[in-house]
Amino acid sequence: MAPAAIQFELSDPPTDAVSSLKFAPNSPTRLLVSSWDKHVYLYDTQDQEAGGKLIEKYEHRAPVLDVCFGADDNEAFSAGMDWQVKKINLETGEQTVMSAHGAPVKSVVYSKEHSLLISSSWDSTLHFHDLSNPSATHSTITLPAKPHSLSLTSSKLVVAMSSRLVHIYQLSSTSLLTSQANGSVTELQPWQQRESSLKFMTRAVACMPNDDGYATSSIEGRVAVEWFDPSPESQARKYAFKCHRQPDPEGEGTDIVYPVNALAFHPKFGSFASGGGDGVVALWDAVAKRRIRQYQKYPASVAALCFSSDGKYLAVGVCPGFENGQEDYSGEGATHVYIRELSETEAKGKGAK
Amino acid sequence: MVGKKKRNHPDVEELLARPWCYYCERDFDDLKILISHQKAKHFKCERCGRRLNTAGGLSVHMNQVHKETLTSVDNSLPNRQGLEVEIFGMEGIPEDVAQAHNQRIITGFYQQEADRQRATGNPGPGGQVGGQSKKPKFESPAELKKRLAEHKARKAEQAAGGSSGDNTPGGQNSPLGQSPASFNASPYPPAQNGYGAQQDTVAGYGSFAQGQYQPPYQPPFSGPPGSSFPPPQYQPGQSFPPGGFQQGFQQGQFRAGSPGGFSGYQGPPSHTPPQHGGLPNRPPSLPAAPGLPQRPSFGAPAVAPHQMQQMHQGPPQGGWQSNGWNGQNQNSAMSSAYPPHTQGYGDYSTNASSVDDLVSGAAREADDIDEIIRMAEAGIKPPKKGEPTLAPAQATEASATPTPAPDAVKTEVEKTDTPEKLEQAEKKSKKEKATKMIYSDAEFSPEERMAKMPRYAFVPDGKTETALVDTTTLPGVAGTVDA
Repeated sequence: MAPAAIQFELSDPPTDAVSSLKFAPNSPTRLLVSSWDKHVYLYDTQDQEAGGKLIEKYEHRAPVLDVCFGADDNEAFSAGMDWQVKKINLETGEQTVMSAHGAPVKSVVYSKEHSLLISSSWDSTLHFHDLSNPSATHSTITLPAKPHSLSLTSSKLVVAMSSRLVHIYQLSSTSLLTSQANGSVTELQPWQQRESSLKFMTRAVACMPNDDGYATSSIEGRVAVEWFDPSPESQARKYAFKCHRQPDPEGEGTDIVYPVNALAFHPKFGSFASGGGDGVVALWDAVAKRRIRQYQKYPASVAALCFSSDGKYLAVGVCPGFENGQEDYSGEGATHVYIRELSETEAKGKGAK
Repeated sequence: MVGKKKRNHPDVEELLARPWCYYCERDFDDLKILISHQKAKHFKCERCGRRLNTAGGLSVHMNQVHKETLTSVDNSLPNRQGLEVEIFGMEGIPEDVAQAHNQRIITGFYQQEADRQRATGNPGPGGQVGGQSKKPKFESPAELKKRLAEHKARKAEQAAGGSSGDNTPGGQNSPLGQSPASFNASPYPPAQNGYGAQQDTVAGYGSFAQGQYQPPYQPPFSGPPGSSFPPPQYQPGQSFPPGGFQQGFQQGQFRAGSPGGFSGYQGPPSHTPPQHGGLPNRPPSLPAAPGLPQRPSFGAPAVAPHQMQQMHQGPPQGGWQSNGWNGQNQNSAMSSAYPPHTQGYGDYSTNASSVDDLVSGAAREADDIDEIIRMAEAGIKPPKKGEPTLAPAQATEASATPTPAPDAVKTEVEKTDTPEKLEQAEKKSKKEKATKMIYSDAEFSPEERMAKMPRYAFVPDGKTETALVDTTTLPGVAGTVDA
């Protein structure tokens, strides 16, 4: 029934662990990959036979922890261990430092609607760049804890931090603030402060494309789905579930619990994908609370996921996961990027309309 | 042990008496289980998970509650999806479908029996000696009289002191000739009479089996039987599969069990049951090929490979696979109903929540009725622990689902006191299921850990320390890294 070539592997993957994958906003076959090997890779994934084509790679001073596209398919932003947020012109390869944090920068996101670039660093700050006003410098928001993951919708930003804190900002107010505060450190109060519904450290957060809510995942094989709407009715709808676990072959009745490293919502359907340390990618229907499907195990932990803008492809970044008590880590030679082509309704839940 | 043996090869009445599901042709030990199967698999509302009693009930429910129209019955065979038939358990099954099912069971049963006998070289259980008695022999009064006369003549001869004694071929043949009725402890004739439509098949079968098995019982067993069979004897056998079996296959009516038997046919006779065609082998439903040791000296040569081939030209493998079950296995319903079909999964799983879960443990299956049924059939008590990964979609009852509720409640109760939290977590995991976390650091993310390694560590300009600085010291260093 299903064609044999439902997925292919990029023939020229990063040489070390993948930190992030991003499809271009306007092209379903243009993919950025950031890696611990200090490079950002730009691929054209059109030629499936050849395993995609590496268009360019952009060297950084230190491992790159996150990457995102900017206003168009030729602009990218990267965040890295060198504490910097950089703008990369993908055509010329020119790199411009946007700002410097006081610690490695974990995540970077770009809001098209507000021309806002937001980065988060382990120095517990967020930097906001109003890109519509090139002369303005960034403004800084201090956070109560280290941010681990960022995700945004057209109107909101969700910051997942340690101590299970979750802050939700409204981009309209932050962008106003950014234009006013111009370079200062501000104590912007988030629109909502929440505590994660998961008991363990938040690993990833992803917002629903329809601006209704978000999903978070933790290191303890669980995913929670919550809604922005603070009304009790909407809050009662939130739920969490276990996933990415396997029975321990040694211990009777014991489950090995893997971190859920990556979450990505499908741009059209209300479904989302989760990728875990067990190397499994599963698709879930957020509304119907059902698993839609689960793909065959990848050879190593799933580090990053991204749907293409048209929802036709799912990029899966696979590299060894960092485990408890690991003294040494290397993703060298074990890092792969797979592009899975989804059929029309593959990611569509039964309940989704 | 005797009882168990019998379980492996239930006789045909038992098979016919088993309740089966109209929608998916699966059979069950018990009517109750069938009904719960139907409620879980075919009459369950995909929106709210409510289980209705009939397709009509589900249709009304969907209409009234969800304002939707039900067009087909979930998880059903392609030709059984209609809503017009009102099915509840075994009630409401159309006569023709029921007959076809019974016929299929019967042909499957005898097919399997023949396979078994061929594989083991054993005569059939009970009085069913190699199928010689399959065809009830009707003797006209004249014939009977003639035989009686012969018998009397022999008696007279013996009485007269004849030396040929009771070893004469005639003497041996007589029980065979006389006793079809007594051999038919198995209900073959009733079946034959009851299902007129299949008489051809049955008759064909009978002669097939006769051709097959009579020679070994001929007293002087001379030479390998394979060579002693003149080809004409196989004609009936050859004509039989196209007439009886293939038809059934093309209609897509064959279920797991029978193709299983069938594929045993195509392979070498020494096949072990679970490998048959990758189809599930659930002993109670249809008899598997025997687990008895093979007797090569007798069984194997009985049908030489080329003869096998010759005999079964009828249902060619390719044809069977294309219009038979393999095609339908794509249907998620089928694969979830027949979990051992995992070969396909080996590639990648296209169906949502079935195969993997069933393989990796029923506890994760959202809808574990199937598992319960299977266990009930196997005589195992279902573990009541089955915890659904995702609650079966009951939006309003989210708190009733085991996972979210404790989380939500607990996170509100316990604040950020770490030791307490861990203790709580431990308690909870003990209560639920012991877990082993691959990564359990509550303070630092894996990335932070990796960042600390010399391999990845970054030393900013003019600094000698590694990049990862404790957050408390940060305000002091912020801004020193300018580019």
